[in-house]
Amino acid sequence: MKSIKNFFCSIGRFFKDFGVAVVKGDIWVKLSLLIMGAGYFGRKQYVKGVLMTALQAVIIAFTVLFGLPYIGKFDTLGDVQRESVYDPALRKNVVNDYDHSFKILLFGLISIIVIIVAVVIWIRNVVSVRKLQVLAENGKHINTFREDVREFRNGKFHITLLSLPVSGIVCFTIVPLLVIILVAFTSYNKTHMPPAELFTWVGFDNFEKMFSSSLTTTFNYSFGKVLSWTLIWAVAATATTYIGGILLSMFLNNSKTKLPKMWRTFFVIAIAVPQFVSLLLVRNFFADMGIVNTICNNLGITDFLKEIGWVRSSLDHIPFLTDPTWAKFTIIIINIWVGVPYLMLIATGVLMNIPTDLTEAARIDGANGFQIFRKITMPYMLFVTGPYLVTQFVGNINNFNVIYLLTNDVYITLDQKLANSTATEVDLLVTWLFKLTQNDYNYNMASVIGIMVFIICAVFTLVAFNFMIKGDREEDFQ
Amino acid sequence: MKKKLLATLLAVALMATSLVGCGGKDDEGSKDSGNAGNTTNDGGSSDAGDTTPSGEKEDVALVMWGAEEHQTMLRTMADEFIAAYADQANITIDLGVQSEAGTKDTILTDPTAAADVFAFADDQINELVANKCLQPVVENTDAIIAANSAASIDAATVDGTLYAYPMTASNGYFMYYNKEYFTEEDVKTLDGMIAAAEAAGKQISMTVNDGWYLYSFFAGAGLTVGLEADGVTNYCTWNATDTAITGVDVANALLDICAKPGFAVLSDAEFATGVKDGSIIAGVNGTWNATTAQDAWGDNYAAVKLPTYTVAGQQAQMCSFAGFKLVGVSAYSEQPYWAMMLAEWITNETNQATRFDLTGEGPSNVNIAGTDKVLSAPAIAALASQASYATAQRVGGNYWSPAQTFGQNMADGNPNGEDLQTLLDTMVEGITAPVQ
Repeated sequence: MKSIKNFFCSIGRFFKDFGVAVVKGDIWVKLSLLIMGAGYFGRKQYVKGVLMTALQAVIIAFTVLFGLPYIGKFDTLGDVQRESVYDPALRKNVVNDYDHSFKILLFGLISIIVIIVAVVIWIRNVVSVRKLQVLAENGKHINTFREDVREFRNGKFHITLLSLPVSGIVCFTIVPLLVIILVAFTSYNKTHMPPAELFTWVGFDNFEKMFSSSLTTTFNYSFGKVLSWTLIWAVAATATTYIGGILLSMFLNNSKTKLPKMWRTFFVIAIAVPQFVSLLLVRNFFADMGIVNTICNNLGITDFLKEIGWVRSSLDHIPFLTDPTWAKFTIIIINIWVGVPYLMLIATGVLMNIPTDLTEAARIDGANGFQIFRKITMPYMLFVTGPYLVTQFVGNINNFNVIYLLTNDVYITLDQKLANSTATEVDLLVTWLFKLTQNDYNYNMASVIGIMVFIICAVFTLVAFNFMIKGDREEDFQ
Repeated sequence: MKKKLLATLLAVALMATSLVGCGGKDDEGSKDSGNAGNTTNDGGSSDAGDTTPSGEKEDVALVMWGAEEHQTMLRTMADEFIAAYADQANITIDLGVQSEAGTKDTILTDPTAAADVFAFADDQINELVANKCLQPVVENTDAIIAANSAASIDAATVDGTLYAYPMTASNGYFMYYNKEYFTEEDVKTLDGMIAAAEAAGKQISMTVNDGWYLYSFFAGAGLTVGLEADGVTNYCTWNATDTAITGVDVANALLDICAKPGFAVLSDAEFATGVKDGSIIAGVNGTWNATTAQDAWGDNYAAVKLPTYTVAGQQAQMCSFAGFKLVGVSAYSEQPYWAMMLAEWITNETNQATRFDLTGEGPSNVNIAGTDKVLSAPAIAALASQASYATAQRVGGNYWSPAQTFGQNMADGNPNGEDLQTLLDTMVEGITAPVQ
C-alpha cells in the first residue's frame, strides 16, 4: 500500500516541480519550453545546450518524418490494400502505395513511446533548468560540462550503469511484449495477413470469442479441458519431481548407501543429455509398437492389464502415449525421470545444511526417522526451496518440451469436439497455443491465450510467494 | 573506483554482446529478404524503371527453394538456365532447402521473405493464393497449359487463373502389394485383399487415421468435401442422411474393415518397418514408400489402382486425392519475369524427363508421361489407372484435425461407443467451421 502511495506522490511531485518551474522560472527557463537547450545557454553551459537542442531536433525530425505517418494510421491500422499488377513491358510488378498493418502497429507504437519519452525529457529538462536558475540566483557554483560528465562516474554512477541494460530491456522486452499484447485486440490471423491483407482493431472481440465458443465451434469447451489438465499437470509434475528428488537425495545421503558419488554421477548424466534427445528416445520406447510394449507383451503384462480392464481388449499393446488416461500417467512418470536429478542436486545441498544438532536433539527425544523427516527436514526444505518450487510450478504450466516432444504426431485425440479446435487431452495451454499459431496462423487468439497464461501464472506466483515464503518465518529455523 | 570501472566495462560488454547478437540476426534477416528480392514495402509504389527489357544485360539474382534430396539436380538445372540465358542477363541463382510439404508454412510466416521460385505440393495452393503469395503465370501461359496434363493444370489453377507450373503428377496414393500373396482377382476388392492377407497370416495397411487417406472411403461413397468460394472454408456432406450411401453407412464400413485382423492402421514409418520385416504385404501409400516396398519384395512388387470396398451391401470404388508437385513464383519477387522463366525452365519437358530418370517421380508433361519408359514404371501406371477416381486436393486447414480424430475413432472401433451420426455431425461441424 505504502509503495503505491509513494508512487503516486512521486508522480504528483514530478508535475508540481514542472508547474513551479514554469511559473517561477525566468526568461531562460520559459525559453527552454520552446528550445530545450536555451536554459543551459543562459547559464553558459554551451555544450549541454547544444546537446539538448540537437536531441530535440532529432526527436522532432523523427516524429515528423517517421512517426506521424504511422501514428496517423494507428487508429485504423491502414486502409489501402496491396494491389500488384504484372506489367509485361517492364517485366515487373507494379505495386500500389499500400498500408502494411503490422508495420503501422509496430512503428506506430514505437513512435508513441518515443513521444512519451520525449515529453518526460522535456518536462525534466525544464525542471533542471529551473534548478540551475535557483543555483545561479543563490550565487552557487554551476557545474561545467566536464564536471557534469564526472558526476556520472560518481554521484550518478547508477544511471551510467543502468542506462544500457534498461534501454536493452525496453527495446528487446517491453516493446515486443506491448506489440504482442496489442495483437490480442486486432483481427491479425490467417485471413488478415499483411502485406497482402489489412487487419484492424476489434476491441475485446477476441476475448469475447474465447469465452463464448464462437471462434471454433468448440473453443470454449477445449479451453476448459486444456486449462484443467494444465493445472493438474503443473501440480502433479511439480509435486512428484520435488518429493522424488528429496527422497532420492536422502537415499544417497544415507550413511548406509554404498558408492553415493557413483550413483549421484549417474543421475547427473541424465541432466547432461539434452532433454529433447532423451524425450524423443523415450517416446519411441513407449510407442504402440515400441520396445516397452514388446517386452510387456512377452512378459504377459499386456494380457494381465487387459484382464483387469486397464487396457481395452481390442488392443494388442498398452497405449502408453495414445490413450488419454494412460498418456497422462506416462507423461508425468517420464517427467519424474527427467526432472528428479535437478531436484536431487538441490536437495543434496540443502540437506547437508540442516544443523545436525536439530536432528540429534530430536532423536534423543525419541523421534523416529519419519517424524524427523516430517517435522524437521520437510519444513526446512520447503523454507529454503520455496521460491524454486514456485518458479518450478510456473515453469511446468509452460512446460512445452515434455508435452510437445512426447505427444506430437503420436497422440491422436478421440474427442471429436477437441479435434475441432486442434486440441488434445494432453495439450497444455502453451502447446495448444503453439499449434494454433503454427498451424493456423491464429495470431490474435494465440495472443489472447498468451495473456490468459500470463494472468494465471502471475496470480499463482503472487499468491504462492505471499503464503509460502513470508520473510518473517526465518526464526523458525534458528 | 577500479571496481566501478570494472562494473561499467562489464555492463557495456554485456550490452554489446546482446546488441551484437541481435545485429547478427538482423543482418541475416536483411540478407535473406535481400536475396528473396522483396519489393520495397512501406514506400510501396512501383520500383520499376531502372531496368529495361531489352538493351543492356541486366543483373538478375534469384533464390530457388527445393527439397533437400533434389539440390544437386536443381543446381544442374539452374546452371543450364544461367547458360541458356547468358546473352540476355547476368543471372545468379542461390538454392535453398525447403521440403515441398512444408513450403506453405515457411512462406506464410513471412511472405516477403519467400524465395523467388519454390516447389510445393498442390494441396497448399489455395492458402498460398488466398494470402496472395503466388505470382499468376503470365509469361508463355498457353504453352505451359498445352504441355502439361489437364489434371495437373487444373491443380495449379485457382478461379481460372494459372498460379503455378506443374512439375510432377505422382504425388497421390495407390495400392501396392506383394504378388506372392495376392492374385490379380484379389486386388480388385479390399475384402479380397484382407481375406488373402488373413489366409497368409499377414496384414495390409492403410492410414485411416489421416484425413488424406480417410477421404478415399467417403469420396468412394459419393460424399463430398471441398472448398467454398472464399478459398479457406470447407463444405462437407460426410454426415449426409439422404444419400444412397449415408455417412453412417461409410462409418460402419470403416468399423468393419478396421476390426478385421488382416487390416492394420499404420503410420508411414510403421508401414515401412512392416514392409521390411514382412508382416505387411500390401498397403495404400505413395511413391515415397514405393522404393522400400520394391527393395523388400523385389520382382514380386506390383502396384494397382485402389480396390473397391463394401459399403451398405454394395461395392464402391475407393477414390483418392491426386497429388501434384508444383513450382510457384513469389508474388513479392523483384524479378518476376526471370523467376517465371526459371520456374518454366525447371518444369519444362527436358527437365521433367531428367527428374523422372533421377528421382522416379511421374512427370505431368504429356509428352514425357506418354513414353514407354514412364508407362512401364508400376507406380506411375497404377496412378494413371487411379486417375479417373482421383480429384485434386481442395480442402482448407480445418479439415485435417477433425478428420484425423474421426479416422482414429474408426480405427479403434469407436471405443467410447458414441452414436455414429453424432460423431459425423461433430466432425462435419469442425471441418466446415468458418475460418476467421
